[in-house]
Formats: sequence, structure tokens, C-alpha cells
Amino acid sequence: MKKLPFLALLTLLPFLASAAPSLAGPVKIGLLAPLTGPFASEGQDMKNLVSLLAEELNRAGGVNGSPVEVVVEDDGSAPRSAANAANRLVARGVPVVVGTYGSAVTEASQEIFAEAGIVQIATGSTAIRLTAKGLERFFRTCPRDDEQGRVAAETIARLGFRNIAILHDNSVYAKGLAEESRERIRRKGVANVIFYDALQPNERDYSAILTKLKGIGPEAILFTGYYTEAGLLLRQMAEMRWSVPMIGGDATNNVGLVEIAGKAATGYRFISPALPADIDTPAARAFLAAYQAEYKTLPGSIWPVLAGDAFNVLVEAIKARGTDPGAIAGYLHKELRDFEGLTGKISFDYSGDRVGDLYRLYEVDAEGRFVLVP
Amino acid sequence: MQEFLQQLINGLAVGGLYALIALGYTMVYGVLKLINFAHGELFALGAYLGLTLLTALGLAGGGPAAVALILLFAMGLVALAGYLLERVAYRPLRGSGRLTAVVSALGASIFFQNAMMLVFGAKARVYPGGILSGEVFTLLGAQIPATRILLLASSLLLMLLLYWFIHHTRTGAAVRAVSLDQGAARLMGIDVNRVISLVFLIGPALGAAAGVMAGLLYGQIKYDMGVLYGLKAFTAAILGGIGNIPGAMAGGILLGVIEALGAAYISIAWKDAIAFCLLILILIFRPTGLLGERTADKV
Repeated sequence: MKKLPFLALLTLLPFLASAAPSLAGPVKIGLLAPLTGPFASEGQDMKNLVSLLAEELNRAGGVNGSPVEVVVEDDGSAPRSAANAANRLVARGVPVVVGTYGSAVTEASQEIFAEAGIVQIATGSTAIRLTAKGLERFFRTCPRDDEQGRVAAETIARLGFRNIAILHDNSVYAKGLAEESRERIRRKGVANVIFYDALQPNERDYSAILTKLKGIGPEAILFTGYYTEAGLLLRQMAEMRWSVPMIGGDATNNVGLVEIAGKAATGYRFISPALPADIDTPAARAFLAAYQAEYKTLPGSIWPVLAGDAFNVLVEAIKARGTDPGAIAGYLHKELRDFEGLTGKISFDYSGDRVGDLYRLYEVDAEGRFVLVP
Repeated sequence: MQEFLQQLINGLAVGGLYALIALGYTMVYGVLKLINFAHGELFALGAYLGLTLLTALGLAGGGPAAVALILLFAMGLVALAGYLLERVAYRPLRGSGRLTAVVSALGASIFFQNAMMLVFGAKARVYPGGILSGEVFTLLGAQIPATRILLLASSLLLMLLLYWFIHHTRTGAAVRAVSLDQGAARLMGIDVNRVISLVFLIGPALGAAAGVMAGLLYGQIKYDMGVLYGLKAFTAAILGGIGNIPGAMAGGILLGVIEALGAAYISIAWKDAIAFCLLILILIFRPTGLLGERTADKV
């Protein structure tokens, strides 16, 4: 019973917090990121990168004269914990939110932010349906899976593989990309999909799957899952003395892949938005140098950089229109054009998707570097 | 035939790991009737300590002798962690009902997982390559990497050692006595606390061995790797008859083989579903597991 007054206070909190933005104070920008769980490494990079951007911004005087405060909540890499985290962000009165990474995780937070009228910019969630719901204040800085599927089909046509195997991991993202690629490949008559199945992510041993695949004998494997599994597949293929080209999606764009697979990663190709190192704008180079100086390493992948871009466009919108979420959303939809982001020019279309051709083909060279295939 | 043999060997290697981890679950259940949910995390801890020792001692190029040394070191350290776990999380609750201990076990599991994430980082870590020979044998057309044979053999050796210890030494007899009837064992002059501590040294040590082996075999380790392996090994322990040591070994190897063959001949995505359906079937016809005995106090 002693807890009652405390509980009453807790229920009051959202009201207290929603009153806060009208008072002069820091501009709050929410960050929903997977600080724990399977995507924790991405999430921690997201947090590091966005914090550094905010620090630099505050050192330069903040936005409209007020400092920016990044309010971080952990989505736990899972939909259920994401819903709780989203509610906490709402309670803390943020007008805008950056995040999050996984598509299913973002989906769990979408309605909560929409109901609270908060502008959300997802950073790694590429599932198509997220922007097909007609949510006016939802955006993303990453491209969509169908775009990636299109590029995957084109790539396979370009490389001339006729019989291919498609492997996904049953996650919303990987399955969506696999289905999209299969559809495109079939419709265009690019190649025969002679194998289509899913593996269990987080397992270490994929020898049973690889043995089966080897028996079927595809000319190439399209793997649409994440880098840890891709690395293990490559490593175990080499162990079996089986060399077949493997092509991956953008979730394998992580240096961890090379760490896991070692020499076996040589020749692996993947489709991904351009890497930070391949973006030739002075601002991106300067920022990544600062990141390297602060954290002694570069971001592990492109996804945290896309979170940085979400932060930057939000700051730009707040500079132009203040902290009213409706005005920010309107600005992002209609007025923000070719904003110079870390990952290139940023504009959003009417559904909140990022406009422009973002995907490139990369190949891992003998030294384990990701090289842009022209 | 060739593919069948290949898949059988794939399954045996995975099953050997499951079996080693399953022993920890089954031994603890045997003496305490407690599912030690933190056991999967001790397995992961073993993998991390193995890597830490490997890099700290600079033994990455050291061959089998170095590997054996690392294995023993990691086993010793994790055994210590297991001992502390029992002293801190289970012993104080011994009188307060099984549910309390289970909650404590879950808490310990979460604690270990997050502690490992904070200490070793959230990123997957990688064992240096080329520690073990990359040779591949060809047997009846099947390609068998030497590492898999070596690791399967070492896990079988550890299991045999344990079996011998439990069945042919006085201390082993004490462990069996405590698992049969704690009260009676105490009356016979057996130090029950000592036996329980011993079980919490042996089980985690075997889990750590499995962890180092997983690291050497697959290269990549992660702080949450214990969850999936723990679940599979726990299943294996039940499949074999929880509380029964040969049962855990048989259950682990069987589960590994079923998974590999299920993936090969039915569907990869349904591999786990197939394995678990089989588990349910076995439990319908043999509720105590393959080698478990029907005892009065089991529900």
C-alpha cells in the first residue's frame, strides 16, 4: 500500500512531461535503439554515433539557441520490449524519435508514436509495409526491401547465374527480401530458383544445411539474412571445401562478417547502401574521422550512420519549424529536398520513404575490405 | 548414401556438444530436482574464457597441446563460477521450495548474460583461425573435417570419464546416493552439501568444455549464445530422461542427429519443429524419457 502515492505520481508523469516542451529547456530528441539483445552491437553504435552528433551540435550552439538532449531507450531487439521503450519515450515528452533498427521491432513502436503524435524516423527497418500504413509522421532513412530485391535480381542477371538457391532466416526482414527477390527473379526470367528455405538464426552449426545445398548444386546462393550467419556459412563452406559464390543483402554489411569468416569471406558479394567510406562528401569524412577519434573504431555498419542521418534531418526540421511534430512532419514531407546527409542526399516521398537510388554492389577483397563493384 | 553419412557426422558433432551441456542440467536435476537455467550461460562463459585465455597467453598458434591447456583452464574457472553460483543463488534458498530456486536460476541466467555483454561486449567475438588443423578426411565419399572428429572424440572422452567417475568411485557413489534420497544419504554419513558443490563443479566444467569446443569449431561466439544451446541441451536431457547421466549423453547425440537428418530429408526451416515433435512423441510413450526410471515422486 505504501507504493500508492508513487504509483499515482507515475500515472501523472506523462501529463507532467507533455507539459514540459512549452517551457524553455533542451530540445529533446528520442532515440529508440537495440542496446541489448541480438542487435545490441548495431544499437550501441547507433547510440554512440547519435550522441557524438548531438555533442558536436551542442558545442556549436545547439538548435535555435537551445541545447539538444538525446533521450535514449533500449528496445531490447524485440517487439515487446520495444513497445515498453516507446511508451517510456512518450512519457518523457519527446516530440521526435530516431529509430529503430529491426523491422518487426519498429513495427511494434509505430502505433504508439503515431497515437502520441510523435515524428518517428526509422533507421534500419526496410520491411515494405512499415510505410504502407498511411502513418503521416513515420519516415525512414533506409531504403525498402522491394528496392533491394530489385537490385538483387538485377545483380544476379548481371553476374549471369542461371540456377540459384535462396536462403533466408524467417525474420520479417530476411523473409521479405527473399520473397521479393524470388518474385523479381521469376517474373523477369532471370534465373531458376532451385532451392528456397530458411535457416535458424543464432545457431552455430549450418553444416546440415550446407551439405543439403551442396547436393542440390546451385551456381550461386542468395542469402538474405544477417552477417553473423553469413559469416558462419562462408566459414563452414570453406571447411567443407565447397566453393560456390554467395551474394547477400544489406544486413551482411558488417565488418563482423570478415572477422567470422576470415579468408573464406574473399569474393563474397553483397548489396548495400554505400558505405560511409565511399561517400565522398567532406562532411561525412570529417564526421567519421571524429567518430574514429572518439571511439577508436569506425561504425560497424551503415545502419548507425543512417541513424545519424535521421538525427540530422530532424535537427534541420526543428531549425526550420520548431518542435511541433505536425510542422516537422510537414517540413520533412514537402520542403526538405536533397539534404546533405552522411549517406548522401536525403529527400522523403509522400509515404515517408527515402527517395533515390541507394544500393551498390560490394565485394570482399583478399584483405577483407569491402570494395565497391562499379 | 554419401549424403546420409555426411549428415550423420554433422549431426554427431552437434549432438556431442548438446550432450556435454545436457550433462550439467541432468546432474543438477539429479541431486537437487532443480533446472539450472543459468547453465547455458556458463557454457557461453566457457567460450569467452577460452578465447580470453587463448589471446592472453598468446597460444593462438600452439596446436593441440595449447588447446588442451586452454580447455582445462576454462573448465576450472567456470567450475569455480558454478560453485559460486550454487553458494550464492541456490544454497540459501534450499529450504524454500522448488519454485523459488527456479526463479533464482532464471535471475542468475539473466545476470550472467548481461554481465558477459558488459564485460566482453555485445558484438560477436571471434576465435582466431587455424588453431586446429584444417585437414579434411574423405570417408566413403563424405567430407569430414578433422576438427569435428577431434571435438567429437574429446566430448566422448569427457563423457566416459564422468561415467566412470560416477559409477566406479566412492565419491561417485555418494553423488548417486544423494540423487536417490538426500535424507537417507545424510543419515549414511554422506556430506550432502559437499556432493552438491561437487556437482556444481563438474556440470559447469563440462559446459565450459562444450563452450570452448563450440568456439574452436564455429569460430564465432556471442554473449547470448547460451540461450539456444541451453534450450537444446535441456531438451536433450529430458529426451534422455532427466536425472540420468547416460540418458543425457544419448539424448544429446540423438537430438543432434535428428536435427541434421530432419534438415536433410524434410525441411531446413522445419528442422527444430521436427526435433521437438519427436520429443513430444517420445515423452507421450515414455514420460520419463529414453533412459529415465519411473520413480514415485515424479509427477
